[in-house]
Amino acid sequence: MFGLNKIIPVEPNINFLRLRRNFLIISSIAIIASIVLLFFKGLNLGIDFKGGTLIEVSTKNTSIGELRDILSVSFNDVSLQEFGNENIILIRLQNKNNQESIETINNVKDIIQDKVVEFRRSEFVGPTISSELLYRGFQAVSFALIAILIYIWLRFEWQFGFGAVVALTHDVIFTLGLLSILNVEFSLATIAAILTIAGYSINDTVVIFDRVRENLRKYKKLELVDLFNLSVNNTLSRTVMTSLTTLLALFSLFIFGGEVIRPFALTMIIGVIIGTYSSVFIAVPTLLIFKFRPQDDDD
Amino acid sequence: MKNYPIWKSFTVISLVLLGIIFSIPSLVYDENSENWFLKNKINLGLDLQGGSYLLLEVQLDVLYDEELENFSDSIRLLARDNQTKINQINTQNNEVIVTFNNNNKIDEIKNSFFQMYRGISLQVSNNQLTIKLDDLYKKTIQDSAIKQSLEIVRKRIDESGTKEPLIQRSGKKRILLQLPGVKDPERIKELLGKTAKLTFHLVDDENIDALNANIEPFGKMIVSDIYDDKIKYLLDKRSLVGGENLVDAKGSFDQTEGHAVSFRFDTEGAQKFGKATSNNIGKRLAVLLDGVVITAPRINSAITGGSGIITGNFNAQEASDLAVLLRAGALPAPLEIVEERSVGAGLGADSIAAGKIAAFIGMMLVCIFMILIYGSFGAIANVSLIANIFIIISLLGTIGATLTLPGIAGIVLTIGMAVDANVLIFERIKEESLKNTKVFQIVKNGFDRAMSTILDANITTLIAAVLLFAFGSGPIRGFSITLSLGVIASMFTALMLTNFLLYLYLSITKKKELVL
Repeated sequence: MFGLNKIIPVEPNINFLRLRRNFLIISSIAIIASIVLLFFKGLNLGIDFKGGTLIEVSTKNTSIGELRDILSVSFNDVSLQEFGNENIILIRLQNKNNQESIETINNVKDIIQDKVVEFRRSEFVGPTISSELLYRGFQAVSFALIAILIYIWLRFEWQFGFGAVVALTHDVIFTLGLLSILNVEFSLATIAAILTIAGYSINDTVVIFDRVRENLRKYKKLELVDLFNLSVNNTLSRTVMTSLTTLLALFSLFIFGGEVIRPFALTMIIGVIIGTYSSVFIAVPTLLIFKFRPQDDDD
Repeated sequence: MKNYPIWKSFTVISLVLLGIIFSIPSLVYDENSENWFLKNKINLGLDLQGGSYLLLEVQLDVLYDEELENFSDSIRLLARDNQTKINQINTQNNEVIVTFNNNNKIDEIKNSFFQMYRGISLQVSNNQLTIKLDDLYKKTIQDSAIKQSLEIVRKRIDESGTKEPLIQRSGKKRILLQLPGVKDPERIKELLGKTAKLTFHLVDDENIDALNANIEPFGKMIVSDIYDDKIKYLLDKRSLVGGENLVDAKGSFDQTEGHAVSFRFDTEGAQKFGKATSNNIGKRLAVLLDGVVITAPRINSAITGGSGIITGNFNAQEASDLAVLLRAGALPAPLEIVEERSVGAGLGADSIAAGKIAAFIGMMLVCIFMILIYGSFGAIANVSLIANIFIIISLLGTIGATLTLPGIAGIVLTIGMAVDANVLIFERIKEESLKNTKVFQIVKNGFDRAMSTILDANITTLIAAVLLFAFGSGPIRGFSITLSLGVIASMFTALMLTNFLLYLYLSITKKKELVL
């Protein structure tokens, strides 16, 4: 009946803040690199945001090369890709005007009809829609950040809100940077993942901040650095446990959840790891900028 | 069990039981069940059950242009009635500028015009009349066009035999269609791609010169043949009768002409048609569909019965589709497909299977991990986790929410995140156990102290989920729904069920000491 949680001592005493400068430097570099990457390489925008046509087919006894040869006779902008296994092929075509794209789907289907076992899906997103979706995704992320900031600001002192938002922004930009390097497809589902990461990262930060606030009331004499260290240590096993269970579920989704959901799972995995890191190594040290003790004049 | 109020035990147990009972319909999932209870199952999104999602945009510009053309035609007629000469008519940027030779009758013309087009904005300066298609007037055109389009799209889809279609207005000028289980979206697209405006016009076979020179005299128009656009016809611009007077159309078979569409007019249409045909025996009558001639037979005798057939080189499917279109009526303006997402049943089934496996394995991993770390407390958290999943499923089923592929991802994610509240509680209990000796007091303190953290932490996730719902579309909304329900259910299971189970466990085992 005794669990392995004994491995983590009830009151661990790790000096997390000792190396805070190093972590701040590492994170700053990561953020700058991410911004540069996003600016020059950009994200691998999927059909949702770039527009275009996508057809997923399952084939039998037909190689991807064969299909490519057949299709490139009629379409010069066609690209094919195996999707999960060699019998499932994604066919992508660039955006044209709406009418032409709809006809393109028909034409592609006609041309490869006899090579295909099943047309698994066909998607077409017109140019007006893709830019609208991108705009709305951007709106959703911005509003979420603002709403979360307001909530933190209402529940905590503003310094905490500042720390939380620094950590949150860090997570979002860093995650986007990694998506850019890894060339993960950026779709509506990825936006959902980013927003969930925002919620998750804040969740992590809030738990630690809650403890900081509690300890600020409890230990009035303690040095701030020690107090922050104590708070991180108090909540350490929870931080680790929750990240691990979440990651377990996400890895299961990544491995078994199917090809379509994989970019979402990968984005979430990256985000959860970064979010956990930032709660401890970014959010808390940020509080040190404020050299006074909130709530000092209480009771 | 002392220390624990009976009403609380009762509430917890009954809520969990309700969760289990109401998740039965979704777990059994009998698609066609009419049973009142089994009907409360989860709706599968198009990405899971297969089907087509189409977003159509009404081409309003075409309507505006048409209206501007109507303005010029009306002005020409009014000028003729008032014996005034028009110098020139300019149509540009949503306005028609008419320059008359003099301004003698300009006020009369203006007033008569206003009688015809109420609410239109008119300006007179000297001998110039400016007719402006302003935003207000455009909006009336837009609203009626969308309303009409919706109705006609609905009729066409119903006629095509699609089960349970969802057809609704989306934004200012779009129509959203969800067609579950549609296997051949191409045919639907075909049906929606036609305006299906049917009109009958007299053919002018006398003015061959104009036709050859490709000049349209006033009141006439040159139109090409549907099968060969080199064949041209010179027609009266005014139609004798149109599709709006049709009451019925059917695919039929004609001994000599093959597949055809037979139609019947209403009384008004029959009268118009009868009069037009009896006055024009010997001339040709062109049948126009969306501005091209399908057929132009000669009128051999007056057709007074109000019915007739349209022949062309149809096959059976084309004839019956045309009949569907004619029965449903013409769209006020063309529709353009701006977004399409069609998923075959195979991919949907694969996604469900993969989602189930991912959820099951994720669940097993988390449960094993919790037992490894927290021992019997972990087992208690696992019971809560499983109850949590039942509650999510039952809520999805009873509120009639739609489960999508991202929705399944939301459930799997919830499995990982839902134990968080339990972990927070256990960690607090662990700390409390160092400074307290009474087990029930320890548990009580642990819950009390974890409470505010649990609320803070979950509310931020809820905020993100709600915004996702507000700004997201389709499948993504499915994710925000399962995530929100998961967060809410996990707070309930942690604070109520885990609490109850811990008291139960401690009462049964009669532990004097808590080692966590």
